[in-house]
Amino acid sequence: MRTRALLCSLLIVALALAGCAGGGQKADVIKVGWFGALTGDQAVWGENELNTVKMLFEEYNAKGGIDVGGKKYKLEVIGYDNKGDAQEAVNVTKRLTGQDKVVAILGPNASGNAIPIAPILEAAKVPDIATVATNPKVTVLDGKVKPYNFRVCFIDPYQGAVAAGYAYDRLGAKKAAILYDVSDDYSQGLREFFKASFIKMGGTIVADESFTSGDVDFRPQLAKIKASNPDIIFMPYFFKEVALSANQARELGMNQVMMGGDGWPSDQLISMGGKAVEGSYFVNHLDYADPAVADYKGRYKAKYGKETELNGFLVHDAVLMLVDALQRAGKVDGESVAKALVTTNIQGITGKIAIGADTHNPEGKDAAILKIVNGQYVFQEKYAAR
Amino acid sequence: MTQFLQQLVNGLSIGSVYALMAVGYSLVYSIMNFSNFAHGGVIMFGAYFGFFGLTLLKLPFAAAFALASCGTALLAVLIERVAYKPLRDRRAPFLYFIISAMGASILLENIVIATIGPTFRTYPEILAREPINLWGLSIGRLDLIMFFVSAVCLTGLILFIEKTRIGKAIQAAAYNMKACALMGVNTDRVVLIVFALGGFLAGIAGVFFGMKYTVYPQIGNITTKSFIAAVFGGLGSLPGAVLGSVILGIIETLVAGYLSSQFRDLIAFVILIGVLIFRPSGIMGKSAEDKA
Repeated sequence: MRTRALLCSLLIVALALAGCAGGGQKADVIKVGWFGALTGDQAVWGENELNTVKMLFEEYNAKGGIDVGGKKYKLEVIGYDNKGDAQEAVNVTKRLTGQDKVVAILGPNASGNAIPIAPILEAAKVPDIATVATNPKVTVLDGKVKPYNFRVCFIDPYQGAVAAGYAYDRLGAKKAAILYDVSDDYSQGLREFFKASFIKMGGTIVADESFTSGDVDFRPQLAKIKASNPDIIFMPYFFKEVALSANQARELGMNQVMMGGDGWPSDQLISMGGKAVEGSYFVNHLDYADPAVADYKGRYKAKYGKETELNGFLVHDAVLMLVDALQRAGKVDGESVAKALVTTNIQGITGKIAIGADTHNPEGKDAAILKIVNGQYVFQEKYAAR
Repeated sequence: MTQFLQQLVNGLSIGSVYALMAVGYSLVYSIMNFSNFAHGGVIMFGAYFGFFGLTLLKLPFAAAFALASCGTALLAVLIERVAYKPLRDRRAPFLYFIISAMGASILLENIVIATIGPTFRTYPEILAREPINLWGLSIGRLDLIMFFVSAVCLTGLILFIEKTRIGKAIQAAAYNMKACALMGVNTDRVVLIVFALGGFLAGIAGVFFGMKYTVYPQIGNITTKSFIAAVFGGLGSLPGAVLGSVILGIIETLVAGYLSSQFRDLIAFVILIGVLIFRPSGIMGKSAEDKA
């Protein structure tokens, strides 16, 4: 019995040594998690994010990996599909932190999926950098900052205020109508802050109508909006519903200017919305024609044969944030990385990213206003809300 | 007043989409006494058949329509053979049929996600988007065509069931399948014909849905509402399914237009439940038995 125990322990030691020896020859690996929707309405974006992360990691690895605390590491991404579902977001986060032992997580893009994962991140001490999750509650809840949640984009209040400011100031709209998705945090958030800012500036909201995710017919609400005769219609939701509702609005003979947020930009918006979305404006995180993003756009196109979506730019900067934090932390461990992330101050392709310690948001990012002209997104100006 | 009429037109148009889908549920229910939840998946396939007929095969519109409806008729028959026939042969309880139907529905959705992909697609523009303006109302061209095609199909179906020999057999089987078989009717064939008819209509509904909105793997979820409309109108009754759908469409539209769009579904379904409390078998249902 005793000899067997001794043999066993010898074997274990031998195996452990073999493991060390094996690890010493090639660079160690830093596992980074990613999750988002790879199926469902938002699959276009999820696929785009994961592809971008893979591409960037391959580029780092081709250069021999990254230097953390004087040692070279290769980067590896473990990507899961949460189907855009909040419950599934919690499940895959548990899997990434518990089973795969990742050092940090990138994504998700949707606020509704980023909000519920905070307790798991805190328990596992793994930081998360959300990409296009613009709802304030992603990083701050009840006035307290969540220690392991970060983001690379600006937040809803800002987007709603930018849209309201631009509509009132630059487009001269005095009466606005809102159509929003009542079952979606993102849409609710944008609507709330658009409404508050527009009224504060002196405008009136003449109609405030809603629908539920999964709806495809918006004519009852649109007919009601038409009767209220607004100057502008604010549509803070995602491109599929935007295209459908814009088409239906035009079918009802409405020719108001439409305005939206960062849920709009997508190739599919143009192919589905066609003429109906012509002349509309939306707030975005960046200008597609900005020279700063051209290099990444070209690399993505060369590798995957199609254009990158908005999400790609943001996940690109999320990767920059993470690599910077890893290098400054000098340790491959979630807690140290989270500490380093708090003092992030880098230049990303989407703008300057200086994380605020009490918000975990990039502070002072400019928003871009784009207009759809002949099926193209045409940059209007950089606009900051007052 | 114009707004009210416009909302009625909108409601009718939404209702006619529900009606084309609801009839498939009622048809199968009338014979088999269970709700064929795979119907939504069949409709979704119809939308994809039509889409690929138009874009990949570059078929003319009518041919794409025929391809979609024949394709889904075959698909519906196939589902019957694979998912329900073995259960029928073993005289399984109806709950098993429903579970099998749900399985088929999940399978269909995931086949599309795995092969064609999860992103949604848009039909090429076949009809001009500009509406027809009539007495100050905007009426979509597609809505008009949809309304007439639905009306023709549904009348044709009702005539088929009332006037032909096979129709008589369907009626008899709906009344009592066992007795019908004892009288020498080949009930197996009757079941197949019913599924083929339901599938055919599903194809038409799918193409219209795709043209009007868009094509994506979760189209089947929309049929929840048409199923509710079928229950409301009286499951098993074809005119009931049509009536229930139109009423649901109009109630939804009027609630959203005049009361509150936030509470549209809530109020619309409270009204429906209210009606079902007083008429448990629906408006035109044949009896007050279990409608699950």
